[in-house]
Amino acid sequence: MRAFFRVILGLLREIGDENAYQRHLLAHGLTHSPEEYRRFSDERFRGKYARAKCC
Amino acid sequence: MRIVGRLFWILVAIVAACGLGVVGFERGEPVNSMWLVLAAAGSYAIGYRFYARFIAAKVMMLDDRRATPAERLRNGHDFEPTNRWIVFGHHFAAIAGPGPLVGPTLAAQFGYLPGTLWIIIGAVLGGAVQDFIILFCSMRRDGKSLGQMAREEIGKIGGVTALITVLLIMIILLAVIALVVVNALKDSPWGTFTIAATMPIAVFMGLYLRYWRPGKVLEVSIIGFLLVLLSIFGGQWVSHSPTFAPMFTMTGVALAIAIIIYGFLASALPVWLLLAPRDYLSTFVKLGVVILLAIGILFVRPDLQLPPLTRFVDGTGPIFAGKIFPFCFITIACGAISGFHALISSGTTPKMIAREWHAWPVGYGSMALESFVAIMALIAACALQPGVFFAVNSPAGAVGITADAAVATITGWGYPVTVNEMQILAEEVGEKSLFYRTGGAPSLALGMAHIFASTGGGRAILGFWYHFAIMFEALFILTIIDAGTRVGRFMLQDLLGHVYAPLGRTSWMPGVIMTSAAIVLAWGYFLYQGVIDPLGGINTLWPLFGIANQLLASIALCVATTILVKMHRAKYMWITVGPLVWLLIVTFTASYQKIFSDQPRIGFLAQAEQLRSVADQTQAIKTQIFNAQLDAVLCAIFVVLVTLIVLDSVRTWLGVLKGTRDARVNESPFVVTQLRVEEI
Repeated sequence: MRAFFRVILGLLREIGDENAYQRHLLAHGLTHSPEEYRRFSDERFRGKYARAKCC
Repeated sequence: MRIVGRLFWILVAIVAACGLGVVGFERGEPVNSMWLVLAAAGSYAIGYRFYARFIAAKVMMLDDRRATPAERLRNGHDFEPTNRWIVFGHHFAAIAGPGPLVGPTLAAQFGYLPGTLWIIIGAVLGGAVQDFIILFCSMRRDGKSLGQMAREEIGKIGGVTALITVLLIMIILLAVIALVVVNALKDSPWGTFTIAATMPIAVFMGLYLRYWRPGKVLEVSIIGFLLVLLSIFGGQWVSHSPTFAPMFTMTGVALAIAIIIYGFLASALPVWLLLAPRDYLSTFVKLGVVILLAIGILFVRPDLQLPPLTRFVDGTGPIFAGKIFPFCFITIACGAISGFHALISSGTTPKMIAREWHAWPVGYGSMALESFVAIMALIAACALQPGVFFAVNSPAGAVGITADAAVATITGWGYPVTVNEMQILAEEVGEKSLFYRTGGAPSLALGMAHIFASTGGGRAILGFWYHFAIMFEALFILTIIDAGTRVGRFMLQDLLGHVYAPLGRTSWMPGVIMTSAAIVLAWGYFLYQGVIDPLGGINTLWPLFGIANQLLASIALCVATTILVKMHRAKYMWITVGPLVWLLIVTFTASYQKIFSDQPRIGFLAQAEQLRSVADQTQAIKTQIFNAQLDAVLCAIFVVLVTLIVLDSVRTWLGVLKGTRDARVNESPFVVTQLRVEEI
């Protein structure tokens, strides 16, 4: 049951880009700050919303 | 396979066969929806376990020793090896849109049987196979898009054709889904207020994420969801307010103009302010509602009130004209096979797959689940009384312009309904009237509201659930309009950049404004055309969208077959050629009928001819004549584009099979994975 909820939470955090942000901080050795999040989300959205959403 | 396993799968097969048997042969008594659920779930399970596994092992030869692009190109952003069930949910959330909800609802005019069979068979043998193979192809090519693969594997013609087809489909898609929203909100102050409120809520969420609590997406989404729920109650209050109700009571044309202006602004505004927060919210709500609907159906187990086959199998249906073949198969696209999925399967998903075998549940399994959503939508629509279903979904042009005329026509078809019955239902859901609510969304919302209300609360809260369902549908449709307009703009800039370089730059403001306006005006024109159409617009636009979407699926299957042939798997090409041939027969027949049928309700040219014979040639009539001709030309363009790519593909296959053409596959090189189990 715990594993199931871990997957559900992981999915929600993946959809919400929270996991991607954590990976970004880890990969670049950075710590969270409002400026860093803005930089990350600008970059993330540029790629994400250049693709069509499904019907 | 061990004996217990064999017995289990034999049991699943028996359950699926019984379900299909009851759905297919039961006549007279209403069929319980559980039979549809068993037929669908059993068929998907068998298809997943045996057919998809065969494709994975024998045809594509998935290899878990091979490093995926997620591992080789890992960058922490797009390329990241991810838990397979998280990728599964992510992919499912990306492919599930309004299509599997609206299409089956509209196709219910034939009865529940044709739609059910097409959704199940189409998904198991066609849609899920297409998604799975395209995901595999993209995964073996570092996450390349469908267009890139078409260009590399088939040739330049394939690439350009795919790009133009996608752009044209986007325009029709945006128009038709905007029309669904317009028809759902027309003369509905409650619904209009609720949807209007989602815009400041999204902006609040954007500002919250940007400045107040950066990075707290789940937190702000919960706040946003609570605010949206509040707005539903606010909408009820507005609908009773003598001051505010008229402000939010809008005609179809006014709503269309509002959505067109909104689309332009959303395309030009910063993404973080409106589009991204709304996208987060709508994705979470979408997943939540799908789960809620599944629980509701299992709990309520409604009987299907619509018959297995209605009288409209003869092609005289009021919702859209045309016989089961080919129109059922283009009306239901996303629940059975959808070309748009190929764009998602060659987008983000292949960059997240950690092991090649994970493509099996992600590619095939997600589509099976989406198909199940379509079955649930069909159940929700067919659980309505047939008279009510047709009264809601039929345009005034087909049943008469007064309520009395409409119920007389519908009752005359053998589906009894009264004005009083419709009035009580409208009052229960907080609407003035439920007549002529074409587009599928209101009848689906009614069906869902009945199921949700039956789990607790009864008819007293029918209004809340109806507007909750409308909000759910409109929320993610508007997100698709935002994102689609932006993507359309990028594609147009990409094309025009070859003509005048600055137009290709996404940072050049005049170019941004010009291309945004061009895309918005293009889909806005078709939306306006749908709104002023006396037959409700859906009769024209949904088949066009269906044809376009299935033709895109044909392109995807051409790419998939080409790759299989180049992989020396020609003996298995029937796996993709089978669905391809079926789609070409369906779409070419539908296109021919939509252009050349001598019945004005089906054929665009016959419709133009009929309008030309009207004595008083007003400007409105002239516009309708032009629109009918434009639709015929557009349909012909789709067919020509896909014919080009099919011929080009066949030429490639024959060349490779005869040995006169290079059979080199453009796969990325084999690298042994270094990924440890605990990392995924």
